[in-house]
Amino acid sequence: MGTTATILSISFTITCAVGIAFVLYIARSTRQRGALEPDRASLAEREKAWFVVVTAVLVALLVATIWFTPYGRSESANATVLKIRSIQFAWLIPNTRIEAGRPIEFELTSDDVNHDFAVYTMSGTLLFEVQVMPGYTTRYSYTFKRPGTYRVLCLEYCGVGHAQMQDTLTVSA
Amino acid sequence: MTSGHLAPSPEPLPPGPQLDTARSLAFRFLIASTVILGAAGILGLILRDSQAGAGRLPDGWWYAIMTAHGLGAFVGWAAFAVMGLSYWVLAQVGFPVRPAGLVLARLTWWLMVVGVAGVVVTCVAFRYGGSWVFLYPISFYGSGQWGRWTSFFFSASVLLAGLSIVTWCLSVLHTVLGPALHAVERNILNRIGVAMGFGYLAPSRFATNPRPVPYPVLPLTVIALDMIVATLPLAVLLVEMMVQSLSPSVHVDPLLAKNVLWFFGHPVVYLLLFPAVAIYYLLVPRFAGRPLVAGNIIAVAWAIAVTANVIIWAHHIYLDYPSGSPQAAIDVTMEPLTFSVTIVSALSLYSLFFTIFRSRYPWNAASTALFLGLASWMIAGFSGIVNATIAFDQIIHNTLWIVGHFHQMAFLGIGFTIIAATYAWLPEWTGKPLYSETLGRWHVWLTFVFTMAATAIWMYQGLLGGPRRFAVLPNRYDAATQLAVPISLLIGAAQLLFAWNVVQTLRGKGVGRVARADLASPRAIAIGIAALAAASLGGWGVYRSQARSAGPATPTAPVSGALAAGKRVFLTSGCSGCHTLASAGATGTVGPNLDQTKPSVARVVQFVTNGKKTMPSFRSTLTPTQIQDVAAFVSRTAGTK
Repeated sequence: MGTTATILSISFTITCAVGIAFVLYIARSTRQRGALEPDRASLAEREKAWFVVVTAVLVALLVATIWFTPYGRSESANATVLKIRSIQFAWLIPNTRIEAGRPIEFELTSDDVNHDFAVYTMSGTLLFEVQVMPGYTTRYSYTFKRPGTYRVLCLEYCGVGHAQMQDTLTVSA
Repeated sequence: MTSGHLAPSPEPLPPGPQLDTARSLAFRFLIASTVILGAAGILGLILRDSQAGAGRLPDGWWYAIMTAHGLGAFVGWAAFAVMGLSYWVLAQVGFPVRPAGLVLARLTWWLMVVGVAGVVVTCVAFRYGGSWVFLYPISFYGSGQWGRWTSFFFSASVLLAGLSIVTWCLSVLHTVLGPALHAVERNILNRIGVAMGFGYLAPSRFATNPRPVPYPVLPLTVIALDMIVATLPLAVLLVEMMVQSLSPSVHVDPLLAKNVLWFFGHPVVYLLLFPAVAIYYLLVPRFAGRPLVAGNIIAVAWAIAVTANVIIWAHHIYLDYPSGSPQAAIDVTMEPLTFSVTIVSALSLYSLFFTIFRSRYPWNAASTALFLGLASWMIAGFSGIVNATIAFDQIIHNTLWIVGHFHQMAFLGIGFTIIAATYAWLPEWTGKPLYSETLGRWHVWLTFVFTMAATAIWMYQGLLGGPRRFAVLPNRYDAATQLAVPISLLIGAAQLLFAWNVVQTLRGKGVGRVARADLASPRAIAIGIAALAAASLGGWGVYRSQARSAGPATPTAPVSGALAAGKRVFLTSGCSGCHTLASAGATGTVGPNLDQTKPSVARVVQFVTNGKKTMPSFRSTLTPTQIQDVAAFVSRTAGTK
């Protein structure tokens, strides 16, 4: 699991735990016989406060994460350009030398349908993925830190051979 | 009317022909959609069990069944069911379906039934496997599995289902904007504003007399407006696809088509959710025995919903940003807009949970389903926010995480309103008591616990990068997939309890007895679920340990030096995607089976270098030596195993 996935797993688990605790609290409250009838008017008023809280949390999440988009990552001066064509059901990867530590500018095209170029480590961590669309070129820049072999899968359903559309990239030192 | 929380509970239609009409409509929709659920559910079980290696389907069949399962379960069951239940919800808050609306409602039923039947036939009989989003232009790239006539009939069938949605919207608008609205103004725009709840914010401008608009009307009005806007462009695309099936020179831009698809594809999620919210707004206050806790802010929520719903589609295509297109800008803009619809769910959940808070909420089959549905909606909402965040989407996009998210939302968050409605209203509609409250509670709890477990497995696999829509997953996901097998079977078994309960109720076998305390107590159900979970885990553990000690199922035979290079080329160049060749473990069915054709070296060199028909040329990606190697490997080993 990569860093983002780890952060996501932990924060998502905590959020769910808080949510489940709240649901249990509501469920238990229906079994408290003789408890005070809640003041519905004030609960309805407090909905406005809840509106503010939710909005604030969403704005915070937006501000914290909006910097981490994949857009516009390209045009590194000394990048190695790697033009990859995709077809049903193969990646046509040229024999260009890929070096660890040097930016790779992927130029991705498709001859037929939509594909999704996804690169994993051999141990299964998803490093990045980029959608590829027929009639367009999509650019994505990435620098492999370590030499070795990386696995390429297609993550956009592309037809009956989709699961077999696999390949590898070799990164040299 | 200024204080929403003081709004009295709305009065249902009195007994009579109008109530009978709503009842027969809702009943017809519910029965047809439940039959579709049965079929789609079985297909879903087959898919997951095949992934685990239990009855493995050929890939082509797997994708065809995946397409039928997705469209069947999502549109044919969930959407269809809540669309029908909406007529009953409206009747329960005093809105009769009038003659023109009734004609449209009946047309809706027929269009949907014929459309879904067409989808199932084109997928299951003619193996259309473009997936339920039929991402343009995949319909025209069937790799020999399906041809242009199948694409034509598939597109036509989906078009019928789409038109069914439009006629439903018109019938709902005709109903909510009728005299039952009690709007003071006759102006149509003003009436639409009233039906969307603007009167809670501006009572004099959007005046009603004598009573304010009932809350369940708000989400139904909003979705009826939005789905007309959202469906029409998709209908145009479907017509284009029908034309293209017959005359291949016609085509559209794939990026435009993708945006059109999701311009529909996002709101259609709310075609399920918003009528489900109307059911929650109606039933939760009834069970809690008090009016919905809702401030006037709820009208703000629905005003956000009607607008944001149709301008947030790009969160489905965050990772599409081809050079020279404005897509990246659209994607970034739609992240905050997507966040804004979260507010609608957050406010609705607040209202509904605090309506239950310290009430005398009962815990029968129907009300338990409703409560667990709310809990699932909240949990699925959390993963929805994750999906809406570009930074997170980059690592879960098109993974099994998404599959977990939408099964949680559609099957539990929305499906439980349909199940609750069935338990609550089937006896009322038929005049026959529910066959068994005990079976009902078991069904609801088993479904909740094991579907949550199944979705948790998907989400966990997704966090590990597990790809969605793979007939055969990379084997590092096998352990978790195999655990999903007993769980999926338990979910299926729970639905048999539901089916049996419904059938016996319809046959008049119920005697109106209350639940048997010893068999339906929380303790009994908890022990039963724990036992079943332990059995699933135990069985899985035994299976895993046996599989490990048996070693790899298909040891690869060593290939002598010269051929090894050719085999490597074969395995890494995508050959196995299309061809069957036992010596390489390849099982593709798109192109010729090499074990049968046993081509000569020269023939392989010729085809690999120059391509032939759908087979591409590999001249620019393989060196002449590599082509010689792969040709030697294929020619020498074909048909040898």
